[in-house]
Amino acid sequence: MNKKELIALLKNWQVALLVILVIASLFLIYPHVEDEKLTTNLQYGLDLSDGTWLQMEFQAEVVGFETERPVGEFLADLQKKLDAEIYLVEEDKMEIRTFYTREQLETAFEESGGRLTSYEQGVSKETAEQVKKILEDKLNALGTKDAKVNPLTGLSGVSHYVRVELAGVSLSQAKDIVGKQGRFEIRIHTTGNATEHILYGDAINTVGVPSQNPPGSNSWGVSFTLTEEGAIQLRDGAIQYGATTNPDQHYLEMLLDGRVVYSAPLSPDLAAKLQVDPIRELYASTGTGQVALNDAKNLEIHLRAGALPVEVKVAGSGYVPAALSDYFKTMAVVAFIIAVIAVGIVVFLRYREPAIVLPMIGINLSEIVILLGIAAVIQQQLDLAAIAGLIAVLGTGIDQLVIITDEILHEGRVPSPNIYQKRLTRAVGIIMVSAATVIIAMLPLALMDLSTLRGFAIITILGVLIGVLITRPAYGKIIMAILSK
Amino acid sequence: MGFINYDVNRYTPRQMVVIPLVLLILSLAVLGYNMATTGMPVTPGMDFSGGTAVTVFTSDSPDSLRATFSGYPLISIGEGVNNGKYLKFGPMDDDSLQSLATLIDERYPDAKIDQIGASFGETLQHQAAVALVLSFIGMAIVVFVAFRTFVPSGAVVLSAFADIVMTAAVMTVVGIELSLPTTAALLMLIGYSVDSDILLTMRVLKRQGKLDEKLAGAFRTGIIMTTTTLAAVAAMWAVTYFGNVPVIPEISAVLFIGLLIDMMNTWLTNAGIIKWYMLGRGTK
Repeated sequence: MNKKELIALLKNWQVALLVILVIASLFLIYPHVEDEKLTTNLQYGLDLSDGTWLQMEFQAEVVGFETERPVGEFLADLQKKLDAEIYLVEEDKMEIRTFYTREQLETAFEESGGRLTSYEQGVSKETAEQVKKILEDKLNALGTKDAKVNPLTGLSGVSHYVRVELAGVSLSQAKDIVGKQGRFEIRIHTTGNATEHILYGDAINTVGVPSQNPPGSNSWGVSFTLTEEGAIQLRDGAIQYGATTNPDQHYLEMLLDGRVVYSAPLSPDLAAKLQVDPIRELYASTGTGQVALNDAKNLEIHLRAGALPVEVKVAGSGYVPAALSDYFKTMAVVAFIIAVIAVGIVVFLRYREPAIVLPMIGINLSEIVILLGIAAVIQQQLDLAAIAGLIAVLGTGIDQLVIITDEILHEGRVPSPNIYQKRLTRAVGIIMVSAATVIIAMLPLALMDLSTLRGFAIITILGVLIGVLITRPAYGKIIMAILSK
Repeated sequence: MGFINYDVNRYTPRQMVVIPLVLLILSLAVLGYNMATTGMPVTPGMDFSGGTAVTVFTSDSPDSLRATFSGYPLISIGEGVNNGKYLKFGPMDDDSLQSLATLIDERYPDAKIDQIGASFGETLQHQAAVALVLSFIGMAIVVFVAFRTFVPSGAVVLSAFADIVMTAAVMTVVGIELSLPTTAALLMLIGYSVDSDILLTMRVLKRQGKLDEKLAGAFRTGIIMTTTTLAAVAAMWAVTYFGNVPVIPEISAVLFIGLLIDMMNTWLTNAGIIKWYMLGRGTK
């Protein structure tokens, strides 16, 4: 092909678009050398980057109900019977924050004068978001650099699971950090060693970072604020049990999972203030020096994230070590290159004409480059399954180029532009239908929360779309230019 | 391609359809037998039945591994190339799991761990089944909308159905478990196996010319299509299987089997039916 023809070809908008997209994608993928390692902007899934995933199941349920009684009374009754926190989510739906089977609840509901109408394990969207936030805060506070927390919400709006992904953390560490979620509680000493409940972690509104009070004193502590309700609970409790009048006999205790993590008297100043008004701004002092600073850091985590509103149980987990993930990445690249070569050989055996085979392979590779470019933009993680999808896209992409080539080559070599257009349209018709079937077949997977397979489905669908919309029309033009010589 | 000497025009529709039909019945029998004996048509892998899998590269013998993990419900130890060992554990509670993870962390920090709880596995299995059914129905709708005539559309859907059933049967026979990756491969097969069927149907229904020539032309294009995909899939399988990479070998093995079966179903089942349909129409 001479220069003039090449320029004419590039003036075709489909071909030009392809070239522009390939160049743009290369910039988006941005391969560069960093720390003597080839790095790109591509995101890798957990089996291609070292780290841990944990999928946790909420030990709670969202149930529909009917009752003739006033809802408030009904709920209070249930709450007592089940000894669980219960919240109204919708008019006729409640969230029960302790795990019960459907049968257990049916009995309890009947005894309380109501009826269970639906049952789904999990928590409401709001609770799931709260859990997400708490976990994220907790992981960030621990300095876990790359942590992702995603509640998996079904079509009904109920989240059954929450998935946590932690880069560079081993499974046992991750479980220590996340899997064992505690329940935070503040209690107050009554007489001797006996204590009474004041509030749960959900009454804590905001938590500050460890700070010195007064500033520069090397005396450490953590400030935190209570919700309005929480502040009232604290004041009422403090007054009721005599902590405001005799603070030293009535220590305040903070517990995580029933374990005391902090215990101190109210300061005289605070005790006096509490006697008058509920106080929302509080400060828990941990003492002076390095030890106190560390205590304050721990206390902050306990205050901030110690309390998940709902208990969780590990449903599934996994860990990939760094050495293995690097190795998998290398093997994935090798598999890809070998696959390209294998496809090239088969196509060459069929057409025995480099002028057809080279553009075919070139178009195919450009398709993969654009696909990776888009994956980099939408931050789609590449995992092993997605790589398999990528290579399958390579194989099937060639299929459709074969369809186009054969349609055009049908009966004699060089069709007139008119016939060519007709044939290309027919070829595109075939391609459209088969692309539609692939997209439809993959759609359930992309929409469902079969977590690990979403990447596979999304990559496959994107690959097909790019092929149908961009690379194949361009190939039609290119192959025509080549064949008509 | 010299190694394929099949001539689509040599046989009558009845001759063409008979082999796949027998195989389809056999496959259904295999799946039915499995269903009756185990409750599942295909052997479920750990993803669906729950358990813990550990992949580790170590020269330690299986016996010493067995001793190390004697306190845990170790089910089997598989060995691969390059000292790869695959340990499978049955379901255990959170605390045992945590201590197992700690033990592995100490002894084999470079081990890959995958764990799925039994009830989570059940949920996954249910969702996978729903995904398979939905995607098959979706595919069938697209095909019927595209061709709008019953027999040709039915032939495509039937041959896709036969692809999935036969692939599942072969999986059972050669011992590939149904897992999340293999489910994905089956879904992909639903989408891609109709590729060549659509080509065949389009060429036969919408092109001018003699039926024989159209069939031969479609066959020529169709075979090269499937062969290129087979080449990519085979390369992917070989590299990842011998390289001890998880997930990809299972996906590619299922795709490979499925595409081979699809060749048969497209050029015997579907071609047979469409030939019969066209011949019948021609005499009217």
